[in-house]
Amino acid sequence: MIYGRNFRPRRLLPFPLVTTPTPRGQVDTLTRSSADPLIHARGLTKTFGTFTAVDGIDFAVPRGEAFGFLGPNGAGKSSTMRMIACVAPITSGSLRILGMDPATQGPAIRGRLGVVPQQDTLDLELTVRENLYIYGRYFGLSRSVLRGKVEELMDFAQLSDRADAKVEPLSGGMKRRLTIARSLINDPEILLLDEPTTGLDPQARHVLWDRLYRLKQQGVTLVLTTHYMDEAEQLCDRLVVMDGGRIVAEGSPQQLIAEHSTREVAELRFPPGENAAAAERVSALLDPASERAEVLPDRVLLYVADGERMLARAHEQGLAPISSLVRRSSLEDVFLRLTGRSLVD
Amino acid sequence: MSATVAAGPEAAARPRIRASRWQVVEYQLYVGRRIWRTMFVVGVGTPLAYVLALGVGLGTVVDNNGNTLGVPYIVYVAPAFLTAAALQIAAADTAFPIMAGFKWIRTFHGMAATPLTATQICDGQLLWVALRIFANSAVYLGIMAAFGGTERWWVLLTIPVATLTAMAFAAPIAALAATLENEGNAFNMVFRFVVTPMFLFSGTFYPISQLPQWGQDLAYISPLWHGTMLARGAAIGHLGALPALGHVAYLLAWLVPGIAVARWRFAVRISK
Repeated sequence: MIYGRNFRPRRLLPFPLVTTPTPRGQVDTLTRSSADPLIHARGLTKTFGTFTAVDGIDFAVPRGEAFGFLGPNGAGKSSTMRMIACVAPITSGSLRILGMDPATQGPAIRGRLGVVPQQDTLDLELTVRENLYIYGRYFGLSRSVLRGKVEELMDFAQLSDRADAKVEPLSGGMKRRLTIARSLINDPEILLLDEPTTGLDPQARHVLWDRLYRLKQQGVTLVLTTHYMDEAEQLCDRLVVMDGGRIVAEGSPQQLIAEHSTREVAELRFPPGENAAAAERVSALLDPASERAEVLPDRVLLYVADGERMLARAHEQGLAPISSLVRRSSLEDVFLRLTGRSLVD
Repeated sequence: MSATVAAGPEAAARPRIRASRWQVVEYQLYVGRRIWRTMFVVGVGTPLAYVLALGVGLGTVVDNNGNTLGVPYIVYVAPAFLTAAALQIAAADTAFPIMAGFKWIRTFHGMAATPLTATQICDGQLLWVALRIFANSAVYLGIMAAFGGTERWWVLLTIPVATLTAMAFAAPIAALAATLENEGNAFNMVFRFVVTPMFLFSGTFYPISQLPQWGQDLAYISPLWHGTMLARGAAIGHLGALPALGHVAYLLAWLVPGIAVARWRFAVRISK
């Protein structure tokens, strides 16, 4: 938890606002409420008919944190996000956002959220500038405030040179950056990102991560879902792993790795058909309390404290893998451990 | 018109959020700027074609062959065309754009993430259609007048009458559009089996007393007949106050529940 972080009144963007500073910049809302989580869920449940998408989850997100929901498809991440976004009603349990109840104060909460949906909802017929302007109008922002704001956000999203281009022909990465820029038009206190980089090429993903990291530095609370482990490790201070509508693990990326995996993983590749037998032999070398082996069709994974040492001992035992590598445990190992390797959909 | 949203604990410090249906209308104006050519062709081309071909062309034939309507045929038929065009454009402008807003370009889902409520989004969309119909009808009336299709100032009432008629039919279409999950084949059915027959059997071209009883019964149900009666009454002046009120009441009986159902369907669709 990072309650103790030193919060300052922030600006959304690192450069000075062209327009008058927003009133929020003048009040210290942070000291007042930093002890209360911005998002607080207890027994949060969402059902569709007989199907339970979210099954009584508890979580809290303090101000300034980057909080992630990880999970395979159908784990309930998006349903949870839609409840936090005050778009879908909760079925049962309790949910408070910014100290308010989504059921009765939805518009007031939404006015202080930024939402990056899984599927873009940009108007393809309009230009980049018009998309930002119109979206700002939905928040009741005046034309004069928006004039400066739109320019800043286009700059932030590196879209200034496309300001008057229609959105339709823009690349996926550009559209995604525009969606993120648009979600910032109201200086949101919480930014919700549902699979922000799915479908983007590596360059576009890294640019997006950079932008999100900058927002985080400015104190925007980020809540994101992803099934990219590298994304979660890059961006999240803390995350929960969801599976089947429940939270199966919670912690910082490092904590999760420490709790649910070993320090290192040795990957030993044997000829097809020999992996199972090799795993059996090498298992004898493992510390049964903390280490384990996993057999895949093409290789054996050894979750161990010291990979090189284990590899050396395997060679001593006369095992001769075709190839081998030793790496650090990653969040992906944790994820697969917790949610299984089989496809769910 | 605008719903002021009470902000949270920091309300005093934050700018008050004023989300309103008019912002949805503003959005449509931006989109409309891109398609104004189409809107112009529909708004001017259609009335020109109808007034010339049927009002002037067919009208000449009717007037030369013992017209018993009491007014030139163009004066009789043009207000009905105006009303029918309003209804048809409103139906099309409600059906596919709303379907697109939920399904294809998903703009309504974007709006739903802002302080706008489902009711405001629905109302804004309908308001936009109503404004467009109002403007279209004014253009239509101008073209009618240019070809001698108007006789008195009361004919100006055809503009609000046509708008009311169009929206009475468009509101339930909006509810349908917000409900349909497929590619909108149901709309083809609606246009083929409801909108077109309605045009033919609502006393547009001749009094419905010329129809057999079943045809007259159909006309009584049709909102277009009630709108046509009102518009023609305004244009010619034979309509009593009580029947006029009856027609207005019938159209409101479509419009008000239609809007209520449309708002409900918008809310259901957005929260799905």
